[in-house]
Amino acid sequence: MISYLIRRILQLVPVLLVASVAIWAMLYAVPGGPVAMIVGQDASQEQIDAATRELGLDRPLIVQYADWVGNAVSGDLGKSIFSKEPVVKLIGQRLPATIQLAVFSLLIALIISIPIAIISALNPGTWIDRVLSSWSALALAVPTFWLGILLVLLFAVELRWLPSASRYIPFWTAPLDAMRNTFLPALTLGVYVSGILARFLRASLVGELRSDYVRTARSKGLPERQIVGGHIMRNALIPFVTIVGLMLANFLGGSVVTEVVFTYPGLGRLLVQAISTRDYPLIQGIILVIIVIFMLINLAVDMLYAYIDPRIEHK
Amino acid sequence: MNSTGTNALRHAVKKSNTDAVLSVRDLTVSFLTNGKQVPVVRGIDLDVFANEVHCIVGESGSGKSVTSLAVTGLLPVTATVSGSVRLDGVEVIGADEEVLRNMRGQDVGFIFQDPATTLNPVMRVGRQITEGQVVHGQLKASAASDRAAELMAEVDIADPKGRVTQYPHQFSGGMRQRAVIAMAMSGRPNLIVADEPTTALDVTVQAQVLSVLLQRQKALGSAIILITHDLGVVAEVADRVSVMYGGSIVETGTVQDIFDRPCHPYTAALLRSVPRIDAGDDRLKTIPGQPPTPAELPSGCVFHPRCALGAGKTRCQTERPQLRAFASGQMTACHFAEEMKPDRPSTTARAIAQAERAEVKPLLEVDNIKVHFPVKKGILRRTVGWVRAVDGVRLSVRPGETVSLVGESGCGKTTFARAIMGLLDVNEGDVRFDGRSIVGLSRKAMRPVRRQMQYVFQDPYSSLNPVLSAADIVAEPMRLHGLFEEMGSDKRIAELFEMVGLSPSMMGKYPSEFSGGQKQRLGIARTLGLKPKLLILDEPVAALDVSIQAQILNLLQDLQRELDLGFLFISHNLSVVRHISDRVAVMYLGKMVEEGACNEIYENAAHPYTLSLLSAAPISNPGMRNQRARIILRGDIPNPASPPSGCRFHPRCFRATDICRSQVPELATQSSLKTTSICHHAGPLDPKEIALASQAEGGI
Repeated sequence: MISYLIRRILQLVPVLLVASVAIWAMLYAVPGGPVAMIVGQDASQEQIDAATRELGLDRPLIVQYADWVGNAVSGDLGKSIFSKEPVVKLIGQRLPATIQLAVFSLLIALIISIPIAIISALNPGTWIDRVLSSWSALALAVPTFWLGILLVLLFAVELRWLPSASRYIPFWTAPLDAMRNTFLPALTLGVYVSGILARFLRASLVGELRSDYVRTARSKGLPERQIVGGHIMRNALIPFVTIVGLMLANFLGGSVVTEVVFTYPGLGRLLVQAISTRDYPLIQGIILVIIVIFMLINLAVDMLYAYIDPRIEHK
Repeated sequence: MNSTGTNALRHAVKKSNTDAVLSVRDLTVSFLTNGKQVPVVRGIDLDVFANEVHCIVGESGSGKSVTSLAVTGLLPVTATVSGSVRLDGVEVIGADEEVLRNMRGQDVGFIFQDPATTLNPVMRVGRQITEGQVVHGQLKASAASDRAAELMAEVDIADPKGRVTQYPHQFSGGMRQRAVIAMAMSGRPNLIVADEPTTALDVTVQAQVLSVLLQRQKALGSAIILITHDLGVVAEVADRVSVMYGGSIVETGTVQDIFDRPCHPYTAALLRSVPRIDAGDDRLKTIPGQPPTPAELPSGCVFHPRCALGAGKTRCQTERPQLRAFASGQMTACHFAEEMKPDRPSTTARAIAQAERAEVKPLLEVDNIKVHFPVKKGILRRTVGWVRAVDGVRLSVRPGETVSLVGESGCGKTTFARAIMGLLDVNEGDVRFDGRSIVGLSRKAMRPVRRQMQYVFQDPYSSLNPVLSAADIVAEPMRLHGLFEEMGSDKRIAELFEMVGLSPSMMGKYPSEFSGGQKQRLGIARTLGLKPKLLILDEPVAALDVSIQAQILNLLQDLQRELDLGFLFISHNLSVVRHISDRVAVMYLGKMVEEGACNEIYENAAHPYTLSLLSAAPISNPGMRNQRARIILRGDIPNPASPPSGCRFHPRCFRATDICRSQVPELATQSSLKTTSICHHAGPLDPKEIALASQAEGGI
């Protein structure tokens, strides 16, 4: 198990290297750059050269890259071109907010999707299955920004129960306030993802319900509740955790649209700002962090498999 | 409900009951399919008594499994059931769900076909065994683990205490099925329903499992309904037999009567179409056509389109025969049973091709090949060992000859075949085709060889591409080799269709429109397009119904004669192998242990493994049941990554001595031997040995 973990973490290194090259190539393939943003449109060649030198962009690309990688390994992702703050610090400010929103969103998605999936899987083809399946379709079809705006209109503008602009308040400092501020964006994201999760889990449950071991369980005289809870759920979870992991990783990468609608101070909005100002070090840093998060969650999902399914042994 | 009290009462009632444990009257089951009620079981009567094994025999679609599920209402909601089913005197049809649920696991225990899927993969086996009893209040949850160990010990699972907490994947197939038996018997039910309980198992494991099942039945006095398509198993275990066809019981009687004096043409035809392990036979007598599907049942007697006796008789086409008493206790559903002529199964020996062909140059020569797979471990994935899947096999096939490779699953027969085809790398040894070495050839150099050597797969359902038409499937290999025009295009395809007994009018159809047997014919036609010299047939009839199996075997024999094909036939079915082979090679754990002419292997085998295999295989003759001695192998096939020292078979062998543990055996050279075997103690079976062997088993 430990050996497996070490091997998996070592395998992250080449992936990260390839990813970092891709990040660089992408940025330099896009026209424009931070210099133009700093000096403005009417700048003279001297001003441009000076700014370029100052940012170190006059050095050969390969040197710039090696420099960046070398620093990144020691935990230094450079300084933001505009705020002059270290990139690591900027990300560090936003990441907890994003994590909190992601966890809330996922919880809401699970709370909505699991009962829906179980009820419709156990009553396939009935009216209740059709009603619940159309909920899933609807949740997927409604654009998040629109749902977000509707929710703000209802809860913040009309009812005045919740704030329209969400601030980040760490959960452990003021749980109630934190929930008030995170609820609307989390609900917006959660509703959308609940559609995906419910469809997935329903399909997985329907497949499991047809399997031989369910017939065996019935032949022993187990009540239906115990068959679903004791036998089917754990089997159906195996494919389900994959998609849940992917969704969580997605949330953690920042939910750009939702964060913008609710002016929530998360990683997604920081990335949008960084891109619009061509803040290269910040863009690179954020994308790198997102990639690492994705890979770690993937690893966590794989470890979870071994826990759920005794047939999987990580050696 | 106060379960302990009720249970005591229930048991008291049970014991005093001398009536049938299960009594079925006019049971009809139909399924709603595409808005139409399709009858699957059409009014059957059945009585099963305590201490009795009642076998229900039938081909796919005969309604045998549906009958068994109807016993406690385990059918899906789309089923409509009518008639009467009384279990321990309680009516099941129309009973409340709660009543049925209480019957399941207490009054009736189920054993299903595939032990790999019947158990929940993510739940500990011990818990699965006793779960039902705990739910029914027969057992306290705290005592469940000890009880599970006890039950496992009763079905001869070694180290039951340790096994209780393991998961199904840590069990071998045979152990899993024994665990399922323990589970089915845990509530001490009066009735056990076993649906093809050994179909997915190897013969030696099948023998183990059947003997455990009967032994537990004896201890509990239960009645058993055993559903099977395997007439050998029926002959070995049944007391009474019901033969089902097209949703009805066509004949019922004692096992001896059914086998000796079948009184329905279907039963008689079925018995004739099965290859026999106890006698070589030349050609199987097939039943024409295929079993009817429930959606399109023929009028009158459902068997009339395939029946020789009823041919041309209008009564058979118009009037549905009812089950009626015939000879001593037997019942038949045939209008003209009195007109049936008794027939003895033909035992004319098949002409062995070998003698006259000794001088013919071999088509395929395999010289001591080894195929090893690396086992990797650790952070750096270093190779720490090898799975010796094939570890030295020598074999040759001449044109027009059938050489069979037999052995249990995991012995390396399929790996061997794939290595010959060049689909796997050969680590050592040589393969010559038509005198030319083909080991290590490049893909390009291998192409012309592959043309002449074709592979027929086991499962006709998954080996045909569902989106290609039948004609395209057959044309594909010719197109791949760029020979479609040269071979005669569509004319050639029509020719191939006729060659395998398919109508060329089916050329435009898709695989889903073909029946199982027709699909396998298509699979064979596909391989013949390139005019191969050698066919490698990997379990080609294992997935087919008995009557269809005979048709395909006859087709293969005809094709062989016509085209002078060499066959390398891979199978675990010893009866089929005896029927079709000229020579037989037996494999165990990657090694060939014995080889010889077909009849010599079956009559004069010298290797203890071959002897055990033959003794474990069921014989379709109930009269032989008690006369024949049994060697039941202990344990399971060892892991090929760490095979036992010396002779690989020694841990399971009844002849093993010290030398077997330390020295790898060589070819046995005694002049009295009629086969080539690799064993320190090769020799025919001595009756005294069997007594010893079964004693060592502790009565398994």
